[in-house]
Amino acid sequence: MSGVPMTWYLMLGAFMFTCGAVGVIVRRNPVVVFMCIELMLNAVNLTFLTFAAYSPSLLPLGPELTQSWMSGQMMVIFVMAVAAAEVAVGLGIIMAIYRLRDEVDLDSMSAMRG
Amino acid sequence: MPNVPLEMIWWVLGLPLIGFLLQAFLGKKIIDTLGHRYGKKIVGTMAVLPIAAAFLLGIGITANLAQFPPGERNVVLTLFSWIEIMSIKIPFEVVVDPLSMTMVLIITGIGSLIHLYATGYMGDEKDYSRFFTYLNLFIACMLILVLGNNLALLFIGWEGVGVCSYLLIGFWFKDLNNSRAANKAFIVNRIGDVGLTLGMFILVLMMAGNAERLGLTDGRWLSYDVLLPNMVEVFKDQPFLTATVALLLFVGACGKSAQFPLYLWLPDAMAGPTPVSALIHAATMVTAGVFLLNRMSVLFELSPFASAIIAIIGAFTALFAALIAFGQTDIKKVLAYSTVSQLGFMFIACGAGAYWAGMFHVTTHAFFKALLFLGAGAVIYAMAHEQDMRKYGNLLKYLPITGACMLVAWVAISGLAVPFLFGFAGFYSKETILGGALAGQHAIAGGINLGMIAGWVGLLVAMLTAFYMTRMTWMTFFGKQERWRLADGPSHDHGDSHHADHEAHDENAHHAHEDHGPDVHGFFYTEAEMARRAELEEHDHHHDIEPTHEPKEVGPAMWIPLAVLGVLSVIGGWFLYSGDRFKKWLYPNGLTVLPPEVVPKYPEWETLLMFLSIGAALAGVLLGWHFYKKGLPEREGWDLAKWHPFRRAAANQFHYDQKMVDGSLKGGAQLGEMLNRTDKGFIDGMVNGIAWLTGLFGNLLKRFQTGNVRWYAAMMLLGGIGVLGYLWWVALKLGGA
Repeated sequence: MSGVPMTWYLMLGAFMFTCGAVGVIVRRNPVVVFMCIELMLNAVNLTFLTFAAYSPSLLPLGPELTQSWMSGQMMVIFVMAVAAAEVAVGLGIIMAIYRLRDEVDLDSMSAMRG
Repeated sequence: MPNVPLEMIWWVLGLPLIGFLLQAFLGKKIIDTLGHRYGKKIVGTMAVLPIAAAFLLGIGITANLAQFPPGERNVVLTLFSWIEIMSIKIPFEVVVDPLSMTMVLIITGIGSLIHLYATGYMGDEKDYSRFFTYLNLFIACMLILVLGNNLALLFIGWEGVGVCSYLLIGFWFKDLNNSRAANKAFIVNRIGDVGLTLGMFILVLMMAGNAERLGLTDGRWLSYDVLLPNMVEVFKDQPFLTATVALLLFVGACGKSAQFPLYLWLPDAMAGPTPVSALIHAATMVTAGVFLLNRMSVLFELSPFASAIIAIIGAFTALFAALIAFGQTDIKKVLAYSTVSQLGFMFIACGAGAYWAGMFHVTTHAFFKALLFLGAGAVIYAMAHEQDMRKYGNLLKYLPITGACMLVAWVAISGLAVPFLFGFAGFYSKETILGGALAGQHAIAGGINLGMIAGWVGLLVAMLTAFYMTRMTWMTFFGKQERWRLADGPSHDHGDSHHADHEAHDENAHHAHEDHGPDVHGFFYTEAEMARRAELEEHDHHHDIEPTHEPKEVGPAMWIPLAVLGVLSVIGGWFLYSGDRFKKWLYPNGLTVLPPEVVPKYPEWETLLMFLSIGAALAGVLLGWHFYKKGLPEREGWDLAKWHPFRRAAANQFHYDQKMVDGSLKGGAQLGEMLNRTDKGFIDGMVNGIAWLTGLFGNLLKRFQTGNVRWYAAMMLLGGIGVLGYLWWVALKLGGA
């Protein structure tokens, strides 16, 4: 990777994470909340990959340390799998709630109040 | 006299106990099997014999003791070790010394005479064996009281005689008034016991605390042979503590010996049979307080303040009771108040430091007061249980022996004497008391010689004693009118007695109508049941005496004790007084703390005092004769109307009893109310408050549970940022610095 500084990627990742976090807190529709969660997860993925890609040029170490850099990329695979599973479950829950209540509004689901 | 070994004292203690057990288990059976006549004779013998045997043994042991050199007449015998806890030991031990043997002789001697008398007096009683069971138990407990070598055994005897007093006063328990009187006696006694117990505790503390310093290793802190020799060392330089302990023991003595303010049980105790009154409330139990003061005389010698208080309370009691006695119409009540008054004398003596004079008066008082009570009992028996003196009169004609003995007792208690030659029993003992009080320098509190004041009051009371005893004797035995034969009732004072009766009835009714609230558990009798029971009682009640009643002299079982006591009343005082015999017997080495000069009888006063005493007695007798010689004053047109309010008040104990009972009931209720409020308000409040506090915290924390998912997410974010920031900060600190 030449030319593009690592920090730009990291800043992009942070920006995406922030957008996702704000969206999770502010939005009321659970589907949108899930989308924001996905955004957060993707930001995290980006960060991992950035470190995985940029690190070797900064650290002139021998081939025995290749594993630690690869762990960043492996982490991304895990995260993507978990994200998929979580979305499947979450959408199933949303469907159930919709069938029960005919609406999906996070603010009106405050039965655990008190 | 064969030499009775001192160990036989255990038989002296044990014989009445054996008698009690035999009576308790076999008495009723014997009467049921052998029928009333023979059964009662056997039971009566079974009751009298142990006491008489104990008396004979007592004489033997005393004779043996007298052979010891005067300073060494103190032998302690132990039966077994009773309590041994850590540092305190209380064995079951008795002490054979002059004081205890004197009391043993009085108790068993007069006790056996009264037992003999009671076999006659209670002859028609169906609960015959129960009576003698209680009476024997009483003698046993009283013997434990006087013979015990430590305060714990004294206390056992103390409580035991209290219980027996309760049992015997309430002997005819079917009448509620008797039970109430018994309760009153026991409860007031217990109030005094608080003082005694506290005094005992402080003594143990002081002795145990000083054990190192004095080198005592025994652990028997309550035993007299450990307590009394060391008491001076332990209590010196501590006037406040000494006075406190002395006064606490005195409170105990007040309860038992009926001093103001704890005397109010004694007049009510006359509800019991007359032998009980004679034994318990004249000769023995009520003298237990004086005995205690004599035992612990060292303590009282160390505290002039306490002695002064004792003397002045004794004087006040004597005066108060003497005044009340003037308003009494029941012969036994007069004698009851007379007992209270004479006990006051004994306490004057002990307060002034003349302890042996107190014991002397105990002895002579036992003689003539027992005689008076037994004689009164004989009169009551002969008059078909009529106790109101206004229905007596000219009884000397019908009851010569009883009358003669009662006259002897009257002379004895008045303290009459022939100057320089001979005096009856009461004269010697009263003169000794007054001499000790007037001349003594011990009972001084706050600069005032209260002992001397008590002595002058005592002189006045001696005069009053003679006065009211003359009143009683004249109303009963002399005069020409036989007032029970009069058709129109006893006197114009009938209104008085009716009033009193109505008061008593009203009190009962009042008690019945007391609002106990709804009777949920069925504790109380219904109105109908009470009425039925009252009617049954009426059948049991003695009927009023018939105008045609002819009093007959009583049987030998009853007048033999009277005669014996009469002889003792005549010569007893003179015998014990001459040559200071009694004083040398009890206190051969003088008093422990007070030097003999402090309690002298000033020789130059002796003659004057003798004349004063005789003069006071004669004045009283003459006054009594003057007012009552022609029978009841009102009937003879004497204008004593102005004395009516006094007499009515006196008849009602100057309202002391009423106020005391009401006050304590109300006070108790108020105390209960206050405690209830404290419990509900304060303690419950505290417990509830803790719950409230928990609720408060819960309410605060509840705000975090909004139920809003987005809010939860936001909190999670904030929390995450916080943790990361903290870790970053730690890393900076560790790495950066």
